[in-house]
Amino acid sequence: MVTTNGQTLPSMNEANTRDPFNNNSYGTIVDSGYKLVSLPVLDVLDFNERIIRGYEEGYGEKDLPADLSVARSLVPAGTATLRDFSNIAPEIPEYIPENCTGCMDCVTECPDTAILGKVLSETELEAKLKAIPEVDRDMFKKQWSRTKKYFEGPQKKGLPGGMFNIIIDPSKCKGCAECVTVCDDDALKMIPKTDEVMASVRKSHRYWKNLGPSNKSYINDSLLIDMMLKEETHIYVGGAGSCAGCGEGTALRMMCSATGSKYGDQWAIVAATGCNTVYTSTYPYNPYLVPWTNSLFENAPADSMGVRMRWDQLGWQHKPIWCIGGDGAMYDIGFQSLSRLLASGMNIKIFVLDTQVYSNTGGQASTSSYTGQNTKMSVHGKTFGGKQERRKEIAQIAMMHPRTFVAQTTCAHVNHFYKAVLGALEFDGPAIVSCYTTCQPEHGVADNMAGEQARLAVDSRAFPLLIFDPRKGKTIKERMSLQGNPAVKDDWYVNPKTKEEVSFIDFARSEGRFAKHFDKDGNPSETLLWAKQERLENWHVLQELAGLK
Amino acid sequence: MTAPLATYQFSPGALEETLEFLKRTRSELRMLRKVRIWKDKLHIIDINKDCFEIQGIGYPDADIVPILQKLNTAFNPQTIHDATDLEYKEFDTGKRRPWAEDRVM
Repeated sequence: MVTTNGQTLPSMNEANTRDPFNNNSYGTIVDSGYKLVSLPVLDVLDFNERIIRGYEEGYGEKDLPADLSVARSLVPAGTATLRDFSNIAPEIPEYIPENCTGCMDCVTECPDTAILGKVLSETELEAKLKAIPEVDRDMFKKQWSRTKKYFEGPQKKGLPGGMFNIIIDPSKCKGCAECVTVCDDDALKMIPKTDEVMASVRKSHRYWKNLGPSNKSYINDSLLIDMMLKEETHIYVGGAGSCAGCGEGTALRMMCSATGSKYGDQWAIVAATGCNTVYTSTYPYNPYLVPWTNSLFENAPADSMGVRMRWDQLGWQHKPIWCIGGDGAMYDIGFQSLSRLLASGMNIKIFVLDTQVYSNTGGQASTSSYTGQNTKMSVHGKTFGGKQERRKEIAQIAMMHPRTFVAQTTCAHVNHFYKAVLGALEFDGPAIVSCYTTCQPEHGVADNMAGEQARLAVDSRAFPLLIFDPRKGKTIKERMSLQGNPAVKDDWYVNPKTKEEVSFIDFARSEGRFAKHFDKDGNPSETLLWAKQERLENWHVLQELAGLK
Repeated sequence: MTAPLATYQFSPGALEETLEFLKRTRSELRMLRKVRIWKDKLHIIDINKDCFEIQGIGYPDADIVPILQKLNTAFNPQTIHDATDLEYKEFDTGKRRPWAEDRVM
């Protein structure tokens, strides 16, 4: 209980009448307290109890006084976890335990930290179930599965089998159905949010958090996909204001998890203005559990260099700093600042959320946009068919900076993504990881398509995977790897399911942003055919650099 | 794949009725995920893998093109009618209109 505005009320981090099962609470896998800081300008308890309460109860903007706390716009870490999205979508995923293989794809690809995994031994689970009210015990127990991965695998080694469970956090799920789409095992489906369903989901999530953490003996540290079973990897909590299914949300979560797996919360983010700063700092909600700052579109790399210098003065050389920006910030407006950073040799990591559309400002052409793309600043019309320039390649430009680690990746290629991020962190110097991220409203694709479109972007050579690691050798081809791309020695990949070549035209055909390039018979425009050639030429450059041509 | 939620018999020359059927019943499926097309039938599949079946039309038929276009299918009309060794052809249906696509700044 806390006393605020002269009233004694349940804490925002406790059950209350609006949140009877305390789903909106700190801690992702297990409950935790507020993340306190010792700063004279920010009182976390006051902020979370008075200001967050004001916004959650709907009077914040109108009635909160403009005192120093509000006026400074400082936001404590992780406040977005207190945000409730229960009522924004009509449907929610349902877990079908008998079909689950424990692959963790759904947990990994969720942009909102709304679907979570846990594994316990059978005896641990049985013991902990006793703490659950008898009336709900069977309902909750039925949600646990005996997967090959966690149950049969350990049993074959003479160890007790692990019971695995996937749970939905009803307060964070936005109903995008990305988890259902990435599940190859029919272990998830969307169901309507009836009162009965929501009561069951809310209770189950609460009981699940009360169980405590996973049994670490079931978590294989060499399986990168399992990292999200650990609490310390959930640095990006749910509650960000991103669109349903946002590709950037997943990218940020995965980057935070990989970094959290190595450094806990002992690192920081400097973010360039863009969509990412809007949905992760919509006052008073902050989904990050690490220090975060935002200056402008154009100066995040310079800003991060300043932070790095100060941290080094404090003896914090071991703490990583990620500088985050979209294609607008990194390819265009802040490009000079980025180049300066890469040339500095400083130990700063860059993470580019490449949506190719200036997502924040409503879908405009950036130098990362594809040829032919229909955007607000390259409108498809009679004279010009969308963007007429070639796409700029940030990875190739970054490679030519002195001793810089470079990666191009997507969230759909989970192992490649994690290796890129962990490789960047291990590298003692500047590193840049550019990640293809779907922007549903601007690309013209459905909410559940982030992973599918990212995979198609790679298959069609629109966005090839690469890692350029200066530690691998003295020549470019020794440093450069195209591993992860399909048919790496060929021009185009042939899909074995359809036996058809997958080219940039196929990618364009699947997205609304290129729809005007196809006539009524489905023939692509001259511009799009040129875009296909341009993508092939870019692929040839990469093949040549990797010594494959 | 479970049994289709609904089955519709396509009659040659009755394209408009088929499109009307899709328009009328579309809300009974969730977000569409993909279509599978055999020589003589079509499955319209949603994210839960529930589906509608349209019998009597397949990839060799000319009328399959407007039906697939109605479903936002990412397919190539130039090759859709080609013969294949595969049991069926499968396409995604995730294309949407971009936000404010006709706004000129």
